[in-house]
Amino acid sequence: MTSSLRESHASSTESWPARAWPLIWPPLATALIAGIVWEAVTVIFAIPAYFIPSPSRIWEAFWGAPGTLLWHAGITLLEAVIGCLIGSFLGALLGTAFAYWRLLSRGLLPFVIASNTIPVVAIAPIIILWFGHGIESKIAVTTFLCFFPLALNMMKGLQSYDRVIMDVFHVAAATPLQRFFKMRLPSALPYIFVGTKINVSFSVIGAIVAEFVQADRGLGFVIMTTYRTLNMPRLWAALIISALIGLTFFAIVSLIERFVIPWHSSMRTET
Amino acid sequence: MRAGERAHTKPSAAAPVGTGVAFENVSVSFPGQADHPPIQALDGVSLEVPERQFVSLIGPSGCGKSTLLRVISDIVEPSEGAARIDGRAPRAARLAREIGFVFQDPALLEWRRVLENVALPLELAGVATREREERSRELLVLVGLTGFEAAWPRQLSGGMRQRAAIARALATRPRVLLMDEPFGALDQITRDRLNMELVRITEATQATVLFVTHSIREAVLLSDRVVVMSPRPGRIVSVIDVDLPRPRSLATRDDPRYIELIKAGAAELEKGYSHHDE
Repeated sequence: MTSSLRESHASSTESWPARAWPLIWPPLATALIAGIVWEAVTVIFAIPAYFIPSPSRIWEAFWGAPGTLLWHAGITLLEAVIGCLIGSFLGALLGTAFAYWRLLSRGLLPFVIASNTIPVVAIAPIIILWFGHGIESKIAVTTFLCFFPLALNMMKGLQSYDRVIMDVFHVAAATPLQRFFKMRLPSALPYIFVGTKINVSFSVIGAIVAEFVQADRGLGFVIMTTYRTLNMPRLWAALIISALIGLTFFAIVSLIERFVIPWHSSMRTET
Repeated sequence: MRAGERAHTKPSAAAPVGTGVAFENVSVSFPGQADHPPIQALDGVSLEVPERQFVSLIGPSGCGKSTLLRVISDIVEPSEGAARIDGRAPRAARLAREIGFVFQDPALLEWRRVLENVALPLELAGVATREREERSRELLVLVGLTGFEAAWPRQLSGGMRQRAAIARALATRPRVLLMDEPFGALDQITRDRLNMELVRITEATQATVLFVTHSIREAVLLSDRVVVMSPRPGRIVSVIDVDLPRPRSLATRDDPRYIELIKAGAAELEKGYSHHDE
């Protein structure tokens, strides 16, 4: 009877490497081809390494002191993860309050939106002044940046429930808590993932921008110091590492999403 | 207590006092938008539906037939009059989970598989996992969805989704089953099939049924009585007793009496319209 199901998810009979491979090889091929072209262009046109370093120079710069670079990357990673978690959590909390309490959202939402339009480079020095020169201030900047996307998406998500489903719950005599956990929160999940995906990118940006302003460690610190000494291959290496961190974050969240909301239309496997 | 039983509960047969569904002089008005006057959705509607009777409500859009269902299910409060289920207020019946409601939109929870959708009202009522699963499986058999327990709602066709919604509405063994144009969004072939299924399903359950439809054929085929309503303000124009033998089947449509009743119903509907032809 299941044969008449109109569409099916990725077949579960295959092992996961076999299913993941079609998703993995195209970006790898892109990276490989881009790397070769990049290398060739820098060699053929004799482009100076401070202007555009070749991939091989960046590779060398990384392996010159891999431990130090990775240590700095670890600091940035820590700041990004903690800031993302705290910011997302607080944002989700406020978004929930907004969804349930109209007066609060009317009174406060304009200011939350306004705070989101402040460039993070402008607010970072103030936050660092408040939270000091340690890792806490970088976490605080990241938290600030990660607050808004989830606050807004949580609010929109919790308000996105179907009105007829609301009637179904009403007729079935559901309690307010049951309505929240069995209807409004599941309806909000796709929005929550949209907000979280924005946040994982924002969190790396937030941490690095905060390190630009003041830091003695972290990828932002590496980028600033290598720029001053014009050690561009090392700067590029730091930059690529930060991009890889963001990409890994994003992949992890996408994987969780696939697991948590397999029913959602955005999870449809396209062929 | 099976198929033939409904035949014994003749529409005219006096039901024990206070059982079934009753509307006593119910009026509902909704506040008007902007500078429009309030909308009178229902104007002094009285109707008694004895226990286990199948009654259809038919009429043009805006005649308040859906509002009647929303009053008896405690979604809308009447501005005047009262509704009763077995002599009790709708709220009491709702909290006792004695009401099942099937909407035009199946309104399944897309994040739950079919079985968990059907089990929802039982889950909300705090029924133990094993018991509600057992009951839900029974219901899926009843509505002809065996084998689709683990399917996601969006994998089902429109007709199958509505079958699941019917199963969900029956989960708590409601005394009253309310159906608001349940087959309105389906194609004619699916609709005909589901009509016959509904005959079987409602004869297997013990519920009193209020069924809103736009189709006089559907109303006559399924009902013990057809209530014809007119719009602005919503009121009852006439009530037609459907004296066709039960159980109803596809053969019912060849009965000359079936055609007569449809004609009578259509004429009553026409009266309702002509009141308002400006």
